[in-house]
Amino acid sequence: MSLNSEALPKSQEVTAAPEASNQPWEPKIVGFACNWCTYAGADLAGLSRLQYPPSIRLIRVPCSGRTNPQFIIRAFQRGADGVLVAGCHPGDCHYSTGNYFTRRRFLLMQRLLEYMGIDPARFQARWISGSEGPKFQQVVTQMTEDIKALGPNRKMRDVE
Amino acid sequence: MKTIAKAKINALLDEIAKKSNVLAPVAGDGASKFAPYTQGAPVSLDGRTLLPPKDIFFPQTEKMYKFTNNSLEGSLESSFEATKPQVLFGIRTCDAKSIHCLDHVFLTKGFVDEFYQTKRDNTLIVSIGCNGPAEPTCFCKSMDVNPQEADNVDVHLYDLGSEYGAVAKSEAGEAFLANYAALFGDADVKIPEVAGFPLNPNLEGVTEKLQKMFDHPLWEEVSRKCLGCGACTYLCPTCHCFDVSARVAGDQGFRFRCWDSCMFSEYTRMAGGHNPRPSKKERVRNRFLHKLQYFPERYGELLCTGCGRCVSKCPVNMDITNIIKQVREVEL
Amino acid sequence: MITEKMRTAAKDLLEKGEVTTVIGWEKGTFWYNSTPVFISKPEEVDRLVFDEFCANNLAKYLMDYRNAEGKTAVFVKGCDARGVNRLVQDYQVNRDKVFLIGIPCSGMKEAPKTAEKQDSSKLPLLKKCQECATPNPVVYDLLLGDPVSERQVPDRFSGVEAIEGKTADEKYAYWQSMHSQCIRCYACRNACPACNCRECCFDANGLNWLGKQNNVQENQMFAMTRAMHVAGRCIECGECERVCPMGLPIMEINRKILKDINELFGPQDAGMSLEDKPALGQFKLDDPEKFM
Repeated sequence: MSLNSEALPKSQEVTAAPEASNQPWEPKIVGFACNWCTYAGADLAGLSRLQYPPSIRLIRVPCSGRTNPQFIIRAFQRGADGVLVAGCHPGDCHYSTGNYFTRRRFLLMQRLLEYMGIDPARFQARWISGSEGPKFQQVVTQMTEDIKALGPNRKMRDVE
Repeated sequence: MKTIAKAKINALLDEIAKKSNVLAPVAGDGASKFAPYTQGAPVSLDGRTLLPPKDIFFPQTEKMYKFTNNSLEGSLESSFEATKPQVLFGIRTCDAKSIHCLDHVFLTKGFVDEFYQTKRDNTLIVSIGCNGPAEPTCFCKSMDVNPQEADNVDVHLYDLGSEYGAVAKSEAGEAFLANYAALFGDADVKIPEVAGFPLNPNLEGVTEKLQKMFDHPLWEEVSRKCLGCGACTYLCPTCHCFDVSARVAGDQGFRFRCWDSCMFSEYTRMAGGHNPRPSKKERVRNRFLHKLQYFPERYGELLCTGCGRCVSKCPVNMDITNIIKQVREVEL
Repeated sequence: MITEKMRTAAKDLLEKGEVTTVIGWEKGTFWYNSTPVFISKPEEVDRLVFDEFCANNLAKYLMDYRNAEGKTAVFVKGCDARGVNRLVQDYQVNRDKVFLIGIPCSGMKEAPKTAEKQDSSKLPLLKKCQECATPNPVVYDLLLGDPVSERQVPDRFSGVEAIEGKTADEKYAYWQSMHSQCIRCYACRNACPACNCRECCFDANGLNWLGKQNNVQENQMFAMTRAMHVAGRCIECGECERVCPMGLPIMEINRKILKDINELFGPQDAGMSLEDKPALGQFKLDDPEKFM
């Protein structure tokens, strides 16, 4: 069968939401941070007073491998402009093998999102260890810039 | 009788569309269904649509009310909106009968569903009769439906070959025909004979027999191949079960209702986990008893209108006509 | 004639008490319907048939017979046999409790539009059969008939590549259009051998999380979730696409993931043997890594 790829169903033509008129748009990035490495790294960045954009909202998970693909989809649907999944470096997982599965799963997830029409730069996965405060700062700063350049995410937004 | 050439139907729809919303079987990609008609859009009025018109009156998802719920005060705001007048054009007699069944459910026995009622009251229905089975799986004739007639609509069209014969069945229908009289002619017509149907289940005595068959081993046997999906339920023009749920964000949210299917495993699961229909046997039995026994007992007519959508689309060919046959053959 | 052999094999197994149930196909409403049947008495074996309309994948029914007394026999075509492997690998079915009767399959046909009997050789093959690379059962205890030659399958991923070639907005519009037509009947999920969870997340009715409401975004959530949940375990039987009442291109999502798995993690096919682990259930230390 062929599906009409030209016309978006009327209800899905999303119009730009009126942003707060006196502030420039700031991206909302949802970050899934593994408890043992990335969250500790983020904590260290804070302790070291490293400045990074407040665009990221962190959700602590026990292991990056706990992150369900459904969380990513829901994050985009419910207002995220970007999603980050970050965990321990391969070989250093607190649960030995969790991040190996993360690696496979999110390689596929990113490609599936791209296949659905979402810019792959909106979904990133990184390895950030507990001592890598500066790396956490750098990843968030870079991602915020990337998403700012892409603009607010209008696709996959919830209709309600 | 008033007549209109089939070739003029688009012109008629264009005229109607100038003054009100029109829902018709718009031809296009994807499964056939009743969709908003726009000027000049191609319509396919042959045969029946795959998706029944029940979602015009009973949408698959419908917001009911909004609420806020902060600690000191809460509020409730109904999401009810009166429907703007619209015309539903081209439903078949099986679907017309199904609307009659849904009226029983949503408008009678002491509670009137306002969401359903506003759509019903503000929709003018034009139906088309069939002179034979639209698909091999049609069996409306056996289910107390006259393929060529519908009485609970506003205007009924008879299929006369290259034209339709139109008869008003209500005051609104008479006004409709008067409004568009310019497009109709007048002629003596002969309504064709009804052709034979390949499927002819015999419903005689079935309701009474089923009343004694609740524990019969037949249900174990017929339910084995069922997959437990909801294809039959969601394609059925008379199925009307729904679930009520909510979306909450912080201290505000809304309640909505959405279609549900008794074929789903958790349909009767209650708080606490108990499920009185734990296996496919109970659920399949429930479906057929509802169609053939419970609804006739409560409202005096069968809940199946013989449209055949379930028979043609069921992944495993669960066939209600075959089950009726097996019920009749069973020795009690 | 396969049908004769089916009936003989089934009768033999039932009379000797080697199995208590035989799952096969029988004729349905019209001559072009063949539908699953469950035989437990030797006298009933004449209901069994094998023809060009036996498209149903019978493997899934083994889940209903997990706790049955005695063994269950099931007739398996090429796709069905992979389905059985899928269920055994997912620990849903005990291989020792199943007796597999393999039937090499030359493909199943589309149903015609009218009820009158006609020459079935003129009917087109089902789309899933046109794309089938495993017509011979990969696992069986008894094989009926000779293996069939494998057909030349058109480029497996050409449909996926066609969609990949669109721009991002075109892709988005294409999938939004598909998701707006889904009625969430779950026929695809229920027909799929890889969807074998005891309780599906969509049945768990988590308030605010997953439910039955039907709109484009919820339907997209369902489609993408199901694709990711069967990722690496899909046996390409195509039942999901065949049973969809709306005719949605479900296999185009599953094949996209299959294409990516083949590219990223090496060529592999699910359900071919019990030794292979599903792609997302294993890892290699040198898996490709795009991440820093």
